[in-house]
Amino acid sequence: MLLPSCIRPSFRITTTTTFYKHSSHWRHHITPINHSRRLSVPTFINSASISTASSTTVEDHQPSVMAQDGSTPHHPLQVAKRLEKFKTTIFTQMSSLAIEHGAINLGQGFPNFDGPDFVKDVAIQAIKDGKNQYARGFGVPDLNSAIAARFHKDTGLTVDPEKEITVTSGCTEAIAATILGLINPGDEVIVFAPFYDSYEATLSMAGAKITCITLRPPDFSLPIEELKSKVSKNTRAILMNTPHNPTGKMFTREELDQIASLCIENDVLVFSDEVYDKLSFEMDHISIASLPGMYERTVTLNSLGKTFSLTGWKIGWAIAPTHLIWGVKQAHSYLTFATSTPMQYAAAAALRAPDSYYEELRKDYKAKKEILVEGLKSVGFNVYPSSGTYFVVVDHTPFGLPNDVAFCEYLIKEVGVVAIPTSVFYLDPSEGKNLVRFTFCKDEETLRSAVGRMKERLARK
Amino acid sequence: MEKKLSSIAKSLKPSPIQQLSLLAQRGNAVNLAEGFPDFPAPPHIKAAALSAITSDFNQYRHVQGICSLLVDKMKQMHGLDVDPLTDIAICCGQTEAFAATMFAIINPGDEVILFEPSFETYGTCISMAGGIPVYVALDPPYWTLDEVKLLDAFTAKTKALVLNSPHNPTGKVFNMGELEIIAEYCRTKDCIAITDEVYEHIIYDNEPHISLASLPGMQNRTIITSSLSKTYSVTGWRVGWAIGPSCIASAIRNIHTKVTDSAPAPFQEAALTALRSPPEYYISLRAEYESKRDFVFKLLCQVGFQVEFKPLGSFFIFAALPETCKLTDVEFVEELIKEAGVVAVPGCGFFHTKHDYHNRYIRFAFCKDDATLTSAARKMQQLVDASGRLRFL
Repeated sequence: MLLPSCIRPSFRITTTTTFYKHSSHWRHHITPINHSRRLSVPTFINSASISTASSTTVEDHQPSVMAQDGSTPHHPLQVAKRLEKFKTTIFTQMSSLAIEHGAINLGQGFPNFDGPDFVKDVAIQAIKDGKNQYARGFGVPDLNSAIAARFHKDTGLTVDPEKEITVTSGCTEAIAATILGLINPGDEVIVFAPFYDSYEATLSMAGAKITCITLRPPDFSLPIEELKSKVSKNTRAILMNTPHNPTGKMFTREELDQIASLCIENDVLVFSDEVYDKLSFEMDHISIASLPGMYERTVTLNSLGKTFSLTGWKIGWAIAPTHLIWGVKQAHSYLTFATSTPMQYAAAAALRAPDSYYEELRKDYKAKKEILVEGLKSVGFNVYPSSGTYFVVVDHTPFGLPNDVAFCEYLIKEVGVVAIPTSVFYLDPSEGKNLVRFTFCKDEETLRSAVGRMKERLARK
Repeated sequence: MEKKLSSIAKSLKPSPIQQLSLLAQRGNAVNLAEGFPDFPAPPHIKAAALSAITSDFNQYRHVQGICSLLVDKMKQMHGLDVDPLTDIAICCGQTEAFAATMFAIINPGDEVILFEPSFETYGTCISMAGGIPVYVALDPPYWTLDEVKLLDAFTAKTKALVLNSPHNPTGKVFNMGELEIIAEYCRTKDCIAITDEVYEHIIYDNEPHISLASLPGMQNRTIITSSLSKTYSVTGWRVGWAIGPSCIASAIRNIHTKVTDSAPAPFQEAALTALRSPPEYYISLRAEYESKRDFVFKLLCQVGFQVEFKPLGSFFIFAALPETCKLTDVEFVEELIKEAGVVAVPGCGFFHTKHDYHNRYIRFAFCKDDATLTSAARKMQQLVDASGRLRFL
């Protein structure tokens, strides 16, 4: 049985009309700490040839002239057009700046405390027991079972661990595999701004046409009329995130019902990123897959990292009915092939943690959240309510800075605290200019110090 | 709902290898199919991983130290000067390094030249990125490069070429002459080269491993991909890298960040220890694999395979079914599993264009414990006829 030779996908090349640009402020204000920050292009290529996304021409190779020693002097090593805009992420940039200024990092979303011993011990034992070779591509069977069991507990849905689950290197890869496996170039995908920055990148890798609907303060609720006007039979999928990064919003039952009925009516898929599902404080998390008529059209995405404070382990997964999981599984097998073996065994143990673990987790995070939110309010921020995740979004305008990026720079340099400018989470950066995101996935002392610094040094204008 | 699949996903079929794996598992067969060791990883490297987990290296990270060590290696092994800050992307295995490279350089419609037989992942990955794989056949029995075939493969759309050396499945190591031909075409046709050098330390008979990037005019158009997996027997750890000109490495890093964000943190820490292994480690790795190679080579010759080509690298032997054998490769492997309780990989999965030999090869992996290899030998030897040849060969 031969593999098909020279697969020639028959798709049209279309353009995405709304392409996100990094705020131009970055280029002026931040001095690169290391060269890798930018997508550097050989200088002999003039800026006219680095086109915006609207160009679809394939690069012409410049003729190369052989020098005497057989080497070519210069040649345009072109990076794929669709990716020219992807620079180092905002998180890395802010973290570097934070280190430079000794700032307390409430920007990047990973804990400064570690995961539980009972999970780490299983990974350690797995390494000792020699579980260091390729795992089955779509997941170690024990982990797939544990994921299915947990999903059943959370949603009431019964899924086949062998046929409806794919394990990936973190939820980030689950998102990438879902999009690459199920989206054709030109397909329309709806996203809600502000959104996690990998969504736009991955959708453009797949050549999708992105339609964006903005969630607005104060409660970031779903603008249902706008959604109704934008969903049509041409919509391929909706990519949603609940609990939501960066706002902490959680989609209500009513909102999910509305999304569901539009999807069923127009035969639209849903990709639901639920990594923060266990960090739900003000209401219960609802998986859209559990709504009537929705499982057959939903890919539910999740991971180990946030729930178990092991963000560097990269264990994530996608759950979907067989006709959808196939695409995800295939894409995954060509993106990373397999996921780190010893960590998968540990993840299985983690997912079998008793209810008390999750209760403790919520209790801890609630306490941390209170420290931060009370602190931010007392300093003078306008703090928006966050029902879930370990993020809180605030309006910084009382401090008189012109936009979110300027505010964050000021906060690092003059106050010694890091927050993330939310403009990076929008297709149109100006929509985020009043908002910055703080995280409270840090130990209480760190949170108190950060609040202390802000009380001391941040002055309302 | 099938129409919801992307066109790529629809075109992919489950690999015949997977079906045979299931058959093998059921019968508890000796596995000479899969390309990963069944012996333990080196203790000093495992200890480093354990230490990393215990010392809380468990959050997202990028371990810059890996880049510095790779820079030293590139200098030592190939005389290449690499900038640790700009020219390297750490990824989840060579698989991801390759995938990210494809997304970084391929525009829809770009052609990419591959040598076949070829590891099945490359072509599909290229297609996923919108590219078109173009196969150039290496000529059996020695899998030699035919310059005319290579020339014919270039068109105005050729963007890149992929070179895997030491080579899976044949065990071929591209020699200087062949590399010079490939380099010449890359230069004159202004083509980017991507190398897969995962077997760079698994090389025999004092054959040198030469990286295409070290040839004149090649460093600034080559992306080297490799990983810890095969060198350190930790295929399940998912730590690999891409090394290339800074603008491409930067794009690869950015894509990697969006595809997986970070390679597993504790294993990145352990990579520091792995990459600092003393010269004795690599010498003994080669020596052990060489003796396994010789053992399996001898066995296969004994039982009637046509193995004209003794591999100079990797841990695979690509053995030909003798003309007298009427079975196809898939049928043969099925027999091998059922009768002998030994698994190998039918070679057809590595060919993408029809040849009269595409179903005449079997790939045997010898990255296995001596006990496993001995057991496989015993099982096969039980099934030989009077002439010493396997009954169904």
